[in-house]
Amino acid sequence: MIELQNIDLSVGQRQILKDVSLQIAKGGRLLIRGDSGTGKSTILRLILGLVQPDNGRVIIDEEVQNKHNIWSQRLKMAYVSQDMQLGRGKTESFIKEVFSYRNNRHLVYDRKELAKYFDLFGMNGVGPEHRLEDLSGGELQRVAIITALLLKRPIYLLDEITSALDANLKAKITGHFLSMKNATLVIVSHDQHWYEHDIQTLTLDS
Amino acid sequence: MTEAAPDITLIRLLLGFALLIIPAGLSWWVRLGIIRKMFVSTGRMTAQLFLVSILLIYLFDIDNPYINTAWVIIMIIFAAGASMMSSGLRFRHFFIPIFASYFLGAGFSLLYFIGIVVNPERLFTAQLLVVLGGMLLGNSLNSVIIGISHFYQALKKEKKRYHYLLSLGASIREAQMPFFREAVIAAMRPFLANMATMGVVFLPGMMTGQILGGASPDTAIKYQIAIMLAIFTSVTLSISLSLFFTARKGFDEYGVLKEELFK
Repeated sequence: MIELQNIDLSVGQRQILKDVSLQIAKGGRLLIRGDSGTGKSTILRLILGLVQPDNGRVIIDEEVQNKHNIWSQRLKMAYVSQDMQLGRGKTESFIKEVFSYRNNRHLVYDRKELAKYFDLFGMNGVGPEHRLEDLSGGELQRVAIITALLLKRPIYLLDEITSALDANLKAKITGHFLSMKNATLVIVSHDQHWYEHDIQTLTLDS
Repeated sequence: MTEAAPDITLIRLLLGFALLIIPAGLSWWVRLGIIRKMFVSTGRMTAQLFLVSILLIYLFDIDNPYINTAWVIIMIIFAAGASMMSSGLRFRHFFIPIFASYFLGAGFSLLYFIGIVVNPERLFTAQLLVVLGGMLLGNSLNSVIIGISHFYQALKKEKKRYHYLLSLGASIREAQMPFFREAVIAAMRPFLANMATMGVVFLPGMMTGQILGGASPDTAIKYQIAIMLAIFTSVTLSISLSLFFTARKGFDEYGVLKEELFK
């Protein structure tokens, strides 16, 4: 369960979030919408502990987030955003390095599963052996989505993940995430494909 | 041993300065607008080298192992300061860790070079410790600056990438690792290119100096090879240690990069 309690957050002089509270149950889905600059992405970054609120609390599975438990809390989440920077080198080396992190060592890296997702998400002609710096924005986004799925975390934080994709892929990817019954999804999107499904919605305004 | 090159008299050295008429004339002719700068730089070089020569004369005269070591430490302080100035980072966060990295990195290479490779009767003589120490530090300096600035500038520019790695379960060190690799490679690249062309494209200063000083080319080359290896080790060690020592300072308890690091 994810809970935000009375969050205030300013960056410099600008107040981004004011008294924001929300609750997402285990396996729940929340779609966050709103104009640009209303702090949609900031909510995901708050949950990830990449930004700290001025006031209020972030609670994951009944634990108030702090500098000690943040490292274990992050292991419950997988995050994909719209403009991914994955760095350079072979795609598979990147994914393997993620699996080599101390905290991920209990996970089994399954090359077959990787190939299955590459196939499923229409990475035509692009394979795990291709270099990240040669991939397009949409392809990088899918590599990040695939990495997130391979990690099998219970919570998915998805920030405009279908923005660079065509209609067919949008439907496929939204469908795939929504079919994962036990996964908790926090989605930031303008995309119609999510709206077509029956999801709890939070609208932020400035 | 061949004979040392003849000394240069003061008057002859002044005649050397006459050469400046050519770049100054050219600068005036095509209005480069750097005549002033040229004279300031030349003046600084001359004054600094004269002062150092006075100091070296003293150091050689006294030749006390403690004083020699103290002078090497002063040079390391200057090197650490210069690295800070050129890398665009805030002094107070980084001075001590960078000093420590030079101290250990360059210090180790220097002692190995003198103790194991040269293997003289006395280790801490001015001739070996001070002169070789200066050379090692001077040559490591540029590479270390490239490495440190590359690391922190890349983290700043690719902050999203770093934060994404944290979100994937990386520790601070694991998330820094790709940046670390790229920084060390960036620092080594010019040095490796330099080594690969050495002797073909240019004759390195140390070797030239020794030959002018009367050493046989044979000895000079052996010193040159060994010092290149020592510099390479010093660079690699100093960068790795400086990134290792500063790694915790640049990040908050949530692993997030601190903005106030940058000037």
